[in-house]
Amino acid sequence: MISAGTIEVQALRKVFHQTGTGEAVVAIERLDFVVAQGEIVAIVGQTGCGKSTFLNLVIGLDRPTEGRIAIGGRVPYDEFDHFRGVLAAVFQQDRLLPWRTAIDNVRLPLELLGQEPRDQVERARAWLDRLGLARFERAYPHELSGGMRQRVALARAFVIEPALLLADEAFGHLDEVTAAALRTAFVDLARTAGNTAILVTHQLEEAIEMGGRILVFGRPGKLLADIDLKTWPGGAVASLRAEIQRMLRGNTPEPRLTIRTEKEFRA
Amino acid sequence: MKPTETIASETVEALEARAPFRFPREMVVGLVVLAVAWEIVSMLVPPFVVPGWGRIFKSLGTLRMDFVLVTLARVAGALVISFALGLGLAVAMYASVSVERYGRPIVRLLMAVPVVCWILFAVLWFKWVEFRIAFVLVVVCAPVFLVDVLDAMKGVSKDLRDMLRSFRPTRAQLFTKLVLPATVPAILTSWKINLSLAIRVVTIAELVGAVTGIGYGLVVAQELFSVADVFAWTLILVVILFVAEAVLTRVEERVLRWRA
Repeated sequence: MISAGTIEVQALRKVFHQTGTGEAVVAIERLDFVVAQGEIVAIVGQTGCGKSTFLNLVIGLDRPTEGRIAIGGRVPYDEFDHFRGVLAAVFQQDRLLPWRTAIDNVRLPLELLGQEPRDQVERARAWLDRLGLARFERAYPHELSGGMRQRVALARAFVIEPALLLADEAFGHLDEVTAAALRTAFVDLARTAGNTAILVTHQLEEAIEMGGRILVFGRPGKLLADIDLKTWPGGAVASLRAEIQRMLRGNTPEPRLTIRTEKEFRA
Repeated sequence: MKPTETIASETVEALEARAPFRFPREMVVGLVVLAVAWEIVSMLVPPFVVPGWGRIFKSLGTLRMDFVLVTLARVAGALVISFALGLGLAVAMYASVSVERYGRPIVRLLMAVPVVCWILFAVLWFKWVEFRIAFVLVVVCAPVFLVDVLDAMKGVSKDLRDMLRSFRPTRAQLFTKLVLPATVPAILTSWKINLSLAIRVVTIAELVGAVTGIGYGLVVAQELFSVADVFAWTLILVVILFVAEAVLTRVEERVLRWRA
């Protein structure tokens, strides 16, 4: 049986048609890979490489033009309601509901799941406390800083303890210190809970800092490299960084870089 | 992780302690200047053209104040019905593209008909005076509610919609947790617009056939050539509008305290 957090991507292709002209725009050319249950993956690539489109397909907000994407063997777009409480996402903008206080934003997914109000408050409060926002639970989003709002968004994603966590350039617009702290929190929380996590970013440093697996996307939406950083010693990462940057500039998959381990890379 | 930012501590406290009442000095000064100017003009022209404040206040004491309550009851009743109708139709149009495609042109047509024409139609079609007045008010105000609310519903941010959809809400949850709360500012603005509109329209509607209400009071004053009474009724209408708008603004501040 396939685990709930396993993502299978097979011959995935997504084409949009421009409003008015009807002209076809290829967002994802072809993607094939598998993300295992509990794996933490960073997807890195330049603007326009289909990262956010891919994430929308994973969430089930959009339907693939061709190919298949499945989570735990089920298709998120077709079996939309099956994923209630299974996945949660953190977006580039915090997307908090401005009329709700911090705690009411965090308890929102629990309300949707129909949990008891007392449980909702207790769990939301616990997550706010865990993310250092206990004193601000009654604050409205406009009264919080960007970093604090993003932490509320993180708490909102984690509160349902989803099998799959997604982050779409969630920390890129924050200052370096806040971004690093939130990234660490994201990875730690995902690891502790044993969640599958996908973090989409256009910053190579951010992807490397996560220290897990890196999928390098080229334009339009194709896999340039699939790298497992855990098998890489610290010294070799610097040369890998330079290679990835060169590959992103060229936008061409090089067979010697489409690897999973340093050993394969050296070979 | 410990909190590194503390900027919100003051704002949370500030939120709990409501903003103190601020005396509207500019408004009072402006109105006093206008009142003084009026009094000066009243001394320069005959009282049947511009009566002085003394005459107007004397008239105020003689007017039937139960007419004010009647007019207010008509406005309140019609606005509640208009809102319920406008909101219901907006929800139906929001839920169904077909309903919207068929409904929009009809609503636009209704909004294009002048108020005077509606009053004439009401006189021609209906016998019962109260129904005539309610019909005119509802047919004028309900489309405004409908268009304002529907536009606000359709304008809900796609980002927020996608965020909520990622948690798999039911259709009802999507509506009650996102669409409806996001529409509240537009609903309040629409109430303000319609309140002012209804008070003006009800007065005209009462001019035709009614035997109670401020509009009827104005007709009587005009028939008796009592200019001071006309101005006294006008003053009452303006005060009602001011008070109602002040109340709505206060409600708006309270309900929309989440806005920056």
